[in-house]
Amino acid sequence: MTELSININGEHIKADVEPRLSLADFIRDRQRLTGTHLGCEHGVCGACTVLMNGEPVRSCITFAAVADGSEITTIEGFDQDEPMAQLRQAFHENHALQCGYCTPGMLVAARDIVTRLPDADEDRVRLELAGNLCRCTGYVGIVKAILSVLEQRRI
Amino acid sequence: MKPAKFEHQRMASLDEAVKALGNAEGETRVLGGGQSLGPMMNLRLAQPDVVLDLSKVEGLDGIEETGNAIRVGARVSHARIEDGEVPGKTGDYMQFVATGISYRSVRNRGTIGGSVAHADPSADWPSALLALGGSVTAAGGNGIRTISLDGFTVGPFSTGLGWDEILTGFELPVLGTDANWGYYKVNRKPGEFADAIGAVTLGVEARAVCGATESAPFRVTEIEERLASGVQEVSIAEVRDILDRYDAGFDDYELQIHAVALSRAVQGAFA
Amino acid sequence: MADGGSVDGKGIGARVLRKEDARHLAGKGKFTSDFKRPGQKEMAFVRASVAHAHIKSIVKPAGYEHAIFTSEDLPGLKPMRALSKLPGYKLSDYPALAAGKVRFAGEPVAVCVADSRADAEDIAQMVEVEYDILPAVTDMLAAKKPDAPLVHDEWEDNIVFETFSDDDFQKIADEATVVIRREYRMNRQAMNPMEGKAVFAEWDDRQDQLMMWTSTQVPHLIRNGLAEFLDLEQRQVRVIAPDVGGGFGCKALLQPEELVAGYLTRKLECPIRWIEDRREHLVTGANCREHHYQITLHATPDGRMLGLDCDVTVDAGAYSVYPFTNGLEGAMAHGNLPGPYNFKAYKCRTQTTVTNKPGLMPYRGVARPGVCFAMEMTIDALAREIGMEAHEIRMKNMVPESAMPFMSIAKKHFDSGNYAKSVEMAVDMIGLEKVRASQGVPTDDGRIIGVGMGSYVEQTAHGTSVFSSWGVAMVPGYEQATVRLTPDGGLELRIGVQSHGQGMETSMAQMACEVLGIDPDNVMVTHGDTGLTPYSTGTYASRSMVMAGGATARACRVLAERMEIIGAHLMQCERTEVSIAGGKVVSGKGEVSFAEIGRVWYLNPDELPEDVDQGGVEVTMGYRPEPDSGAFTYASHACKISLDVETGKVKVLDYVIVEDCGTIVNPMIVEGQTFGGATQGIGTALLEESLYDEMGNPGASTFADYMMPSATDAPMYRVDHMESPSPFTEYGIKGMGEGGTIPTPAAIGNAINDALKQIGAEVMETPFTPRRVRAAIEAARDRKEGEAA
Repeated sequence: MTELSININGEHIKADVEPRLSLADFIRDRQRLTGTHLGCEHGVCGACTVLMNGEPVRSCITFAAVADGSEITTIEGFDQDEPMAQLRQAFHENHALQCGYCTPGMLVAARDIVTRLPDADEDRVRLELAGNLCRCTGYVGIVKAILSVLEQRRI
Repeated sequence: MKPAKFEHQRMASLDEAVKALGNAEGETRVLGGGQSLGPMMNLRLAQPDVVLDLSKVEGLDGIEETGNAIRVGARVSHARIEDGEVPGKTGDYMQFVATGISYRSVRNRGTIGGSVAHADPSADWPSALLALGGSVTAAGGNGIRTISLDGFTVGPFSTGLGWDEILTGFELPVLGTDANWGYYKVNRKPGEFADAIGAVTLGVEARAVCGATESAPFRVTEIEERLASGVQEVSIAEVRDILDRYDAGFDDYELQIHAVALSRAVQGAFA
Repeated sequence: MADGGSVDGKGIGARVLRKEDARHLAGKGKFTSDFKRPGQKEMAFVRASVAHAHIKSIVKPAGYEHAIFTSEDLPGLKPMRALSKLPGYKLSDYPALAAGKVRFAGEPVAVCVADSRADAEDIAQMVEVEYDILPAVTDMLAAKKPDAPLVHDEWEDNIVFETFSDDDFQKIADEATVVIRREYRMNRQAMNPMEGKAVFAEWDDRQDQLMMWTSTQVPHLIRNGLAEFLDLEQRQVRVIAPDVGGGFGCKALLQPEELVAGYLTRKLECPIRWIEDRREHLVTGANCREHHYQITLHATPDGRMLGLDCDVTVDAGAYSVYPFTNGLEGAMAHGNLPGPYNFKAYKCRTQTTVTNKPGLMPYRGVARPGVCFAMEMTIDALAREIGMEAHEIRMKNMVPESAMPFMSIAKKHFDSGNYAKSVEMAVDMIGLEKVRASQGVPTDDGRIIGVGMGSYVEQTAHGTSVFSSWGVAMVPGYEQATVRLTPDGGLELRIGVQSHGQGMETSMAQMACEVLGIDPDNVMVTHGDTGLTPYSTGTYASRSMVMAGGATARACRVLAERMEIIGAHLMQCERTEVSIAGGKVVSGKGEVSFAEIGRVWYLNPDELPEDVDQGGVEVTMGYRPEPDSGAFTYASHACKISLDVETGKVKVLDYVIVEDCGTIVNPMIVEGQTFGGATQGIGTALLEESLYDEMGNPGASTFADYMMPSATDAPMYRVDHMESPSPFTEYGIKGMGEGGTIPTPAAIGNAINDALKQIGAEVMETPFTPRRVRAAIEAARDRKEGEAA
């Protein structure tokens, strides 16, 4: 067991974890924050994307033990966040989700795009999204939603 | 898809890590950002007994220019390089390479040192840095050692690091402000591993690398000679002929895309 | 008819935003893998490491015997058997855990149970299985050869069944002076919903009932299967599908892991969870497609199609899947190959073979992406041969609107539509003339441009007679819906189909809105629970909106009549003076809200009229279109691609879709389904392939090897709609969930071949990987050099 001290969505947590426990499983099974999803468990699909110290990371290939001392924000932790509020509304209006499984990871990645790359155009948005797979939407609504939030934030 | 059991040792310093590596029993792996090792462990393709976690070790994440070299710490993330933290023309080249590695959420954790030490043949840094030149620094039981990047990658998942050594950083050449460089990757999708890499820099010397091979990336001296003599274009057919003389184990398609990558890297260098 | 029009334009045809979105956007969706109970155990499977072998021994590691179960340890667990009435069809049993022999790599051999998945995998890793390896057959054509190894020892060959229809080609021989022969292959792939399969099983002692939460499209069929193969009474099984993270067909089947979980939860007296990981999904859980075509098209020099002669082979893998069997692809290929075209002679043989690969499963579009690919690619080959634009051939040979309804050469009863118009519109949208003009000019980066299209007609919402003709034992009948007014005037709607991303909580509420004028926000749709909903065969084959939507409309109409009786009484007027509008019962004398009706029925029945319907404000109605031969959706897709001649890499630059699914319930959802489907088609066309080597070892077991379409692979689709209502369905609705996937491989393949025309090369096998495109180019150059020499 490894000791872990971590902040998740503003809450300080101390826990003993098996070294092999992924950050994703710690969040889902131990903290019961089930909005973070597992789609491939090898770092390709992006469903498990969370913020670690403000930057998006794959929680499926990050061991919880290695995340010691970090601040994690999961999809459940963005209630006071302006870009996330904008994205949620835009995803809703642009039919950017169907089954909803990729959505939490997609939103965390999208938030990174709209905050880090304010000038991104459609090609750039698509490139930045390449690491988040959606099997339902064909990405049309997702790309439109992100472009609309970028536009909103430029005004 | 969960990893096998292992012992996690959180290292506080490089000294501690080197000692731990020297004393470790069973298969021991050094964990940088974990973006290559993590998936392999989840798939149980890697089942180390001990994982030495370097994430809290200080002094591995610096970037500094020292006269005619740029020092880049092993734990510098791809994302920091993508964001332009490496200065000058060398930084421009490395920024271009970093931007094409996997996805941003992987680049935030993945490290340049981890990538080179892991030595996946289809990863970017082993090829890109070979084309840049310079050296690797490593710490081991016998102290700090500098190893030339030429020949550092020995084969798939195999490097010149000793069993008790940890890669700590790189000393890379400063490309002059008018130096040309080109980098071209053939892959199926953005972020996917490369099927072929062509990398060219024209610093103090001309370097041209054929990468993402079955084994280690290699320098293509015929092309370097041409570049050194002022040639600014090498056709795909010419590169094919040249590469065909190397014993790289390419089938026809692989030969073709490696020729494309190198030819286009040259083209990019003078675009 | 009591239709009340819609509130604020939220009924049929309205672009209503989805009710499902809020929970998913907040991360509060509830998927099966989110379930956790005290004392639960997780399963991990020991899977066959070889494709074909006798199991010599399974050795359990000492100390873990109690946590490992083989088929011998699970007495009474029956193998899955999917029945078919197709003539000559050979049945095969699919054991939940291999008994004696394994027939594909990845087949479950033993199950390990522990507190965590990681612990269960540790145990699985220690189990030693010794095999007597047998020669494997991994190619469908090789499987037909007389000396091929037998996948099922008790069969005399590897052929599951054949269909054959002959025709007289002499009648067209004089005219058919152009003959096009081609060989096409659509390779095996995997479905890959982002949520894999997941199961949570628990035995409820109070009800003496197996409770199974499972990620499925067909909860009632899962119940049928669990009861049959676990030897339980149907009342002892309740299946609930919570949020389902995509399905696309693989979740319309019972999986061995579901059976094992259902068995073990009772045996071990603890909740059991199994979450399929991506490797399991790619290697065992959802293989699909894999057809081979040897096709000959007879035509006139001016592009009239006269006859089609085709040999189709389907690689069904080792086992037949429950309940839809492995016969669906072959049976459907036969009937759908001619597409929207009319010609005089049609001859087709299909052979479905078994191989040492996972059982083939019905994936979005089932068989039609394959047949459309073969047909549409052949049409373009004809166009190149006779020097005509392919769209002209399409328009010339399609069944015209004036002929509707029309019995096609493959005995499909086309209901309505203007097929040629969709072609014309797509050609216009893609700007064919402009593309043609630009093709002469080489691009800066050495890419060449191609344009191509694909058209299809798709039978949706197949009824009883159609499924019956495919021989499957699980035939859908009358679809039912239950509606119930709540005491405060809201509506509960219960249907047995299951949404797995289609937004049925919204579209079905729109249907209720259309009839009752009730705001969709006040309608709660409940589905996916065998304990709460009417029986249904579930969501597949583009059927739910037509079938469950139709049933909903009917149930709402009966409810409306009953509410009118109560409303008329409360307003002291005649029944004939009232109607339903805007969520109220209205008359010249005033109005009564649904809440008022609810109050009276539930809380103040003393105010009810004498003639009130004693069934009250809860109604179940059944529905089936008449005739039930299906509603035929159609579309034409056109695309523009660029091709890097040196690398063979293809990029989709522009993609247009003209589709007609009859009356559109929610255009936003229709477009979403279409774009998603088309992107899966791009995956089939360019990226996705489940490779197996000669030994039957899977070569694509992670997303590093199996390429999924990303945002960079999909274009910003442009879409236009036509609306030809079906004369046979409620409101003229046609099914449309699958259509987007069907013509995409053909459209892209045709665009590639259009670009390659100048080189004389042609691709004929999906996915059109850079390697395959380069091979085609090299072959054409070699051919030319050979001709020159």
